Formats: sequence, structure tokens, C-alpha cells
Amino acid sequence: MAKLIASIYGWVDERLGLEELLKFAKKKTVPVHKHSFWYYWGGISLFFFIVQAFTGVLLLVYYRPGPDAYESVRQITYEIHFGWLIRSAHSWSANLMVASVFIHMFSVYFMKAYRAPREFGWWSGMLLLIITLLFGFSGYLLPMDELAYFATKVGLEIPNALPLIGEPMTNLFRGGLEVGELTVQRFFALHVVVMPALFLPILVFHLWLVQKHGNATIPSEAAKPKSEQKSIPFFPNFLMNDLAMWLIALNVMALCASLFPWDLGEPADPLKPAPTGIHPEWYFMSAFQVLKIMGNIFPGALGEGLGITIFTLGLILWTLIPLYDGKSENGRRARNATYFGLLALGILVVTTIWGYAVL
Amino acid sequence: MNYPVWDVPIIGSGWVIGIIAILHTLISQFAVGGGLYLALAEHKALKDGRDDWFPMLRRHSKFFLILTGVFGAVSGVGIWFAIGLANPESTSTLIHNFVFGWAMEWVFFIIELTAAAVYYYTWGKIPNKLHNQVGWLYAVSSFLTLVIINGILTFMLTPGDAWIEVAGTGAESSRFWQAFFNPTYFPSLFLRILVCISLAGIWALLSYSRMNEDPQTKAEMITWSSKWLIPSFVLMPFFFAWYLASVPEVNRQLLQLGISTIGSGAFTQVTRIALIVVMTTATIVGIVYFFVRMAPEDFSFGHGVAVLLLAAVATSATEYAREMLRKPYTIARHMYSNGIRQASVARLNEEGYLTKSHWTRRVAGDAQTPEAILAKGEAMFRGQCLACHTETGYRAMKKYLKGRNNESIANLMKTLRDYKPDSPYRAYMPQLVGKPDEIAALADYLDYRVNGKESRLAQLMKTREEGEKVVEAR
Amino acid sequence: MNKAISRINGADAGAGDLMSRRTFAQILFTGVGLCYAGAIGYPIYRYLASPIERAKETTAVSEVTLPDAAKLEPGAAMMFKFGTKPALLIHHQDGTWSAMEAVCTHLACTVQYQAEENRIYCACHGGVYDVKTGAAIAGPPPKGLKAFNVKVQDGAVIVSKA
Repeated sequence: MAKLIASIYGWVDERLGLEELLKFAKKKTVPVHKHSFWYYWGGISLFFFIVQAFTGVLLLVYYRPGPDAYESVRQITYEIHFGWLIRSAHSWSANLMVASVFIHMFSVYFMKAYRAPREFGWWSGMLLLIITLLFGFSGYLLPMDELAYFATKVGLEIPNALPLIGEPMTNLFRGGLEVGELTVQRFFALHVVVMPALFLPILVFHLWLVQKHGNATIPSEAAKPKSEQKSIPFFPNFLMNDLAMWLIALNVMALCASLFPWDLGEPADPLKPAPTGIHPEWYFMSAFQVLKIMGNIFPGALGEGLGITIFTLGLILWTLIPLYDGKSENGRRARNATYFGLLALGILVVTTIWGYAVL
Repeated sequence: MNYPVWDVPIIGSGWVIGIIAILHTLISQFAVGGGLYLALAEHKALKDGRDDWFPMLRRHSKFFLILTGVFGAVSGVGIWFAIGLANPESTSTLIHNFVFGWAMEWVFFIIELTAAAVYYYTWGKIPNKLHNQVGWLYAVSSFLTLVIINGILTFMLTPGDAWIEVAGTGAESSRFWQAFFNPTYFPSLFLRILVCISLAGIWALLSYSRMNEDPQTKAEMITWSSKWLIPSFVLMPFFFAWYLASVPEVNRQLLQLGISTIGSGAFTQVTRIALIVVMTTATIVGIVYFFVRMAPEDFSFGHGVAVLLLAAVATSATEYAREMLRKPYTIARHMYSNGIRQASVARLNEEGYLTKSHWTRRVAGDAQTPEAILAKGEAMFRGQCLACHTETGYRAMKKYLKGRNNESIANLMKTLRDYKPDSPYRAYMPQLVGKPDEIAALADYLDYRVNGKESRLAQLMKTREEGEKVVEAR
Repeated sequence: MNKAISRINGADAGAGDLMSRRTFAQILFTGVGLCYAGAIGYPIYRYLASPIERAKETTAVSEVTLPDAAKLEPGAAMMFKFGTKPALLIHHQDGTWSAMEAVCTHLACTVQYQAEENRIYCACHGGVYDVKTGAAIAGPPPKGLKAFNVKVQDGAVIVSKA
């Protein structure tokens, strides 16, 4: 048996060069220091993405977009065996994925891992974040229950507030002036075809960059003499840790999905008044609240336009940070970048909590 | 309702017990397994002449003493407080039966605590052999506390026919031993012993993960401790099967029950619990194997915490399942989870639920004003529902009754009171008791809380107010 | 990966172990692997196989004969099993018969016939169905109960798929 495996391995190795890959993986190292924990969040995000793809395909087996959307989700949840579990796993890992992507982004930011030569890693990551959020937004509507309907309706107010292009673009996304069957159809196409097609190549690019440049060491660690910097081999040590993290992520997700299965509300009815306290998903809460605040200060389209402009500007600055703080020295710019990061994190957290508090 | 009701919003009083109990189980079962662990580890170190083990064992025993002696003991007292408040009736019944049992446990507990303190403070001060004997004294006395409490815990699920015969006669304690060695006593005892042993290993891993002075010894002790997990993983399935086989069929069926919010048959408690237990257990094995067996000296505090948390999840899931099995009783076939004795249902239906109690007598009258009905309904809700349901949080009344009007709620109350043999609620809810006017008041109260202005009572109040206005205007 | 494990096992394999480290590791791996495969594979298998199970259920039984059921008083009803599911046979006051699946279309509780109010009622969430057709009248059910054909023959009632 062992011989057979060895000979098969030899055959494959000759053709694909597995040994070389293994050698490379063994040579590669990952720095070890007291903030090493944060290195795992990219991997965890990737894991949740894989779960998304996997459970998403499973849901596709029974989901029907269009007028049947609600009915098909109802069948998945209540009639198909374990449909509730698959659906809950998909929803939970979506939320967990957004959360871990955010953690990953902020940890990269504060560890200053966007500095040269990793700028493209940062930019591709930002693109992945935006697509992840759009995945969340488009997926949320698909069950077409009351909550999904009204959350999408309010959520679309965010792009709608963009100056000039806002309204026509939102209408195009919505496939009409109101959220309806056609919107579901569109969002479905976006959710399962367009976005994966955009996401995957960028993801491959992102991962390739990580392989190429390796993990960045944090500045305080890089300042130490070489002999004091500790590291572990990528293979098998870091990979093992990574896999253990994946297992734990899987456990957390399974726990959430089986203890708190996702509910399905009443079917969406545009004629009914919106239930009280309707709000977008938590990861849009901050943007939603900023719009609301600006709208209160400057009534009318001006306030909303201003809010969205501020948000967009912030995002652009955020994206361009490697150009500002790109060198590996801890001068004034590095400090400013850290302050900017803290400010952004603070605004995000405060407006999110604020948003929930005033519901 | 002999006692006032403890209203804990959002989580309900049950979860107060649950949270304390899960913490307590994690620590107290460690206290039992850990005693054996310390005694055996010291014995091994003495036999093999491993002096390098002693400093680490000593530090582990300090951690052990603080954790079990302080948090273990305090959380145990916490359980007493919580159960006394949440379910005084059941607590009282247990005390009446098992006062002798608890007296014994108290004795063992005192010996246990004293031995633990002596054990830690006499490291290197008395002869090694004597010190090891103190360790054994601790191990034995703490094991005996488990032997006692297990009898009381299993009694609640399977009191046994002998005890049920005398239940409510005042002579319950005459069947102390029958109640104590009840049908699930032994399978449960062995299950708990296994859990104790693996928890001893897991806590030891956590403890050593922070001791990095001597990597070689750390590696050895981590490896040795990880072996404490093996008996559980090998034997657990068999003991669990034995346990389930000892549980009455009707209780076992409860695990097959789907949650009422989701209809598909696959969505049962057993699926959910099995999923969690299987996954967390497999993950513990995976992590322990990869990190402990392959690179024990690198086993970090983070790894230890991860294993401990996973173990906590697995433990809570099984304890939850055990509690679930007992529905709708706190003491099977005798006392419902809201403290009503099954035997007194007929009397309460006849004489009324609210009339006898000091706490509720004042609202039990026949007054028909909306306020009087509300007060009566609220007393019913607090007495009979609040033990398991909250208004807006866990098992929320408002969620379950959403979309029902007064008539529909009254129908549900009727179903709960009739408690027909084929009623789906029979499996997990106690019978609703009370005179017809009390039941009607409960329905009206629920209607008022759920439907607000649309409810029957609110409408009544409105018409009355308008009537008063008309009178005033004249 | 195998190499790495065997190297490490080789290094610390103590003498006198009952089971070799390697065998132990293999058993452990198989066990853990099976746990995961079971916890993930089983739900997915059942999920994908649901329509097959359903189709088998529906083709398995297409007719049920209830001997002596014709004795049922007008205005009374009885429960019976149609295949694996509970079903309801009603003898109406006007002498006609109806039969339908007794599984509420909302959350699959078993429904009951209430003679005094002449309706089919689901106690779980208050759904109400029409006694003759099984159509959903009130409450949360999204659609009506599945109705069957009823035929009375020689004192027996034959219920068949519509």
C-alpha cells in the first residue's frame, strides 16, 4: 500500500513538481512575535469564502429566483432535510466572513503591512472587501422576506445619495423604481455569476502576492537585530496552525448555525408598512448612520450627498495610504497613518453603535 | 405558588442557573479529575525519580487550588442561590429528600478543601510519600462528592418507581437509597468520571502551556497530560449508549422533537446537539494531536484556551441535552418545571391556582374590570409560564404568540389546559392549571401584552374611557 | 505529510507501547476524519436526497383502504396514516366525505378537526383550513392541505391520491 502511494506520488511529482513546491513551502517562514495571532485572519476569511462557495452551490440546487424566490427559500428551510442547516451555515459564514475580512484589513493596516513592496496586496484586498460587501448586500435580498425586502430598500438609499450618478445607477441595480421580482432576478445574477467572476481572479492575485512577498513583519519587530527575530517554517508549522484555526472557525460557524438557525420572516409585501426598527445589515450600519446624521444636519439631498461624499473620500484616502506611508521608517507619516487608522476605526465603531442605539 | 417569582428579563431565570452551572461543572469536574491527576503525577514522578516534574506540579497545584477552591466553591454556592430563587418548590423537594445526602457531601467537601490546601502548602515540607498520600486523600474525598451529587442529579430525571410511590406523602425520605441509586445513577456516574478525567488533562495542558522555563520537561508533561483525554474518546460512546438506554423511552423521544419554529423532521435537538458534540470533540482530538503530540514544547496558552473552550462547548451541549430530556418536569413524573406537582393538578383546577397563595390571593377575585383581569392574568403568567418563558428574550412569549388574536390565544390556552393525550405540547410543556376564569385572564393578559391596542382588554378600556368622557361632557 | 508524521513518531516512539504510535495515529485520524465526514457529509447527503425520499414516499402509497370507516357518524372525523403521514377523514353533516393530509403547511404540526366550529385547526400557530377542500382560510398557512379522493365501497372507505 505504502509502495503504491509512493509510486503514484512519484508519478505525479515528476509531472507537476510537487517536491519543488514542498521545498519552497518549507523554506518559506512566517515571523513569530506577540502579534502573530493577527496573521491568521486572512486565512480565516479565505476559509469562510470557501464555505460560502460550497454552501452557496448547495443552495443553488433548490433556490429559484424571481416570483418563486420566497417559496423556494421556505421549502429549503422547512421541507428539505437539513435545508435549515445549509442556509444557516451560508448566512452565518457570510457574516463571519465580513467580520474576519474587517479584522484582517485593520490588522494589516495597524501592522503597516501595506508598505512597499506590498501595495498591490493592499489594493487588491480593498477590492475584495468591496466585493465581499456587495456579495452580502445582494445575497440578503434573495430570500425575499419582509426583512430582506425592507433592508434592501433602505440599503439602496446609500448609493442613491451619490451625487449625479446615484439615482440612475440605483435604478439600474434595482431594475425598476421599487424593489421587486426583477430586483431579485438581477441581484441573483450578480450574486452567483458576476461577483464570483470578479472576486476569484482578484483573490488569486491577492494570494499570489502573499506567496511572493511573504508575511510582513511589524515595524517594532523589524527594528530588532536579525538574531532576535523569531520565525517558524510555513510548512508544516504555520500551515498546521492555520488549519487548526480553520477547524475552530468551522466549529464556531457550526455552533452558530445549529444553535441560532436563520429565521425566515413573512413574505415581502410592498403594500405593508415597514416593520419598526428596520435597518441594513450590521456592516452597512455605519454608512447608513453617517447618511442619517448628515441628513439631519443639512436637510435634503445636500446632506445625503455630503455624507456619501465624505464616506467615499475617506475610502479613497484609506485605499491610498500606502502611497503616503510607504517607507519602512517610523517617522511622522507613520504616526499620522496610525492616527488616521484609529480615527477610521473609531468612527466605524461609534456610528455603528449609534445606529443600533437609535433604532 | 408558595413562593414569590423571580423575574429575570431576556435570558430567563433558567439560564442564570444554566450559566453558573456550566461554569461550575467545568471547574468542579476538574476538581474531581484533577485530584486523581495530581496524585498519579506525583506518584509517577516519585517512582521514576523525576525531580524536574515537581516544580511544575507544584505550580499546577497552586492553580488548581485557587481555581477549584475559590471559583469552584463559589460557583457551587451560586447554584444554590440561583435554584432557590428560580425554582424554590423543586429545591425544597430536593432538600426534603436528600438532606442526609447533602450532609455527607458537605463532610467530603470539607475534607477535600482541607486536603487541597494542605497539599499545596506542604510541598517539600513533609516527606514526599506522605505528601503523595495527602494527594490521594484529596482524590478520594473529591471523588466521593461526585458520587453523592450524581445521585441527586440523576434522581431528577429518573426518580424511580419506588420513590414515586411515596411522593407527596411526606415519607419520601424513607426511600432515600432507592431514589439515590436510581436507574440512571451508574451510567451517569461513569460518564461523569470520564469527563472528569479528560478535564483534568485539559486544565493541566492549559496550566503547563504557560510554563516555558524548561522546554524539555514541559514537552514531557504536556504529552503525558494529553493521554488523559484518551479514555474519554474511547469509552464515551459506549457509556453514552448505556445512559440513553437507561432513560425512559418517553424522555428519549424528546430528543427527536423538532423545535416548534422549524418544521422539518431533521431539525431535532438530537441533530443539533450531535452536530456540536461530534464537531467539537473531533476538533479537540485534532488540535491535541497536532499540537501536543507533534510539538509539545510549543504548546501555547492560546492552544490551551482553544481546547478548553471547545471542551466547554461540548460539555454545555451535553448538559443541555440532559436538561432537555427532563421536560416538562424538574423532577420527572412528580413536579413540573414551573413547580406544580402533577398530583395537585386536579385540585388546582377545582379550587383555583391563585386562591391559596399568600402572594396572589389578592388578585384572585372575580372582579371583571380590565385592570383586575390583567392583574390576575399577570399572576398566572408569572406563576406558570415565567419558569421557562420570558416576555421578549429567550423562548419569548411575544415571539411565540405573534400574529395570534385573542381567540387564537384563548384556543391555545384551552389546548394547554385540556392536555389531551395527543396534544403536541404534552411532550415538553406542563399542563396549564387553574379555574376557567384564571385561564381566561391569562389569555386576556397575553393578548394585551402581544397585541397592545388591538387587544380585547385595551378595547374595553377605550370604550370605558370614551363612556366616561361622554359622562363628563354632560 | 505522511513523512513528517512518521519522522516525528519515529523519534519519540517509546519502547513497550501496547500499540505502535503509527497505528494509534492512523486510528485517531480515521476516527476524527469519520467524525467530520459524518457531521458534514450526512446533512449534505440528506439535503440532496430530499426530493428522492419525497418521490419515493409519494409513489409508495397511492391508495389506502379504511375498513369499517363508513360507520363514521356524520359530523365526525378520524385520523389515519396515509403512507408515513397523518391524514384526516371527515364525514360531513350533509353526508359527503373529505380526506386530506393532516400536516399543517405552515410548520408541519398535525392539524385537528373541530366539529363544534366545523373547521380544521392547527393548534401550533392557529392556522384554519376549510373542512371540505382543505384550503387555507385563516392564520399563517401559506397554502391549503393536500386533499385526497374519497370513495365509499362496501362499508369501507377508500382514500386515494387526487
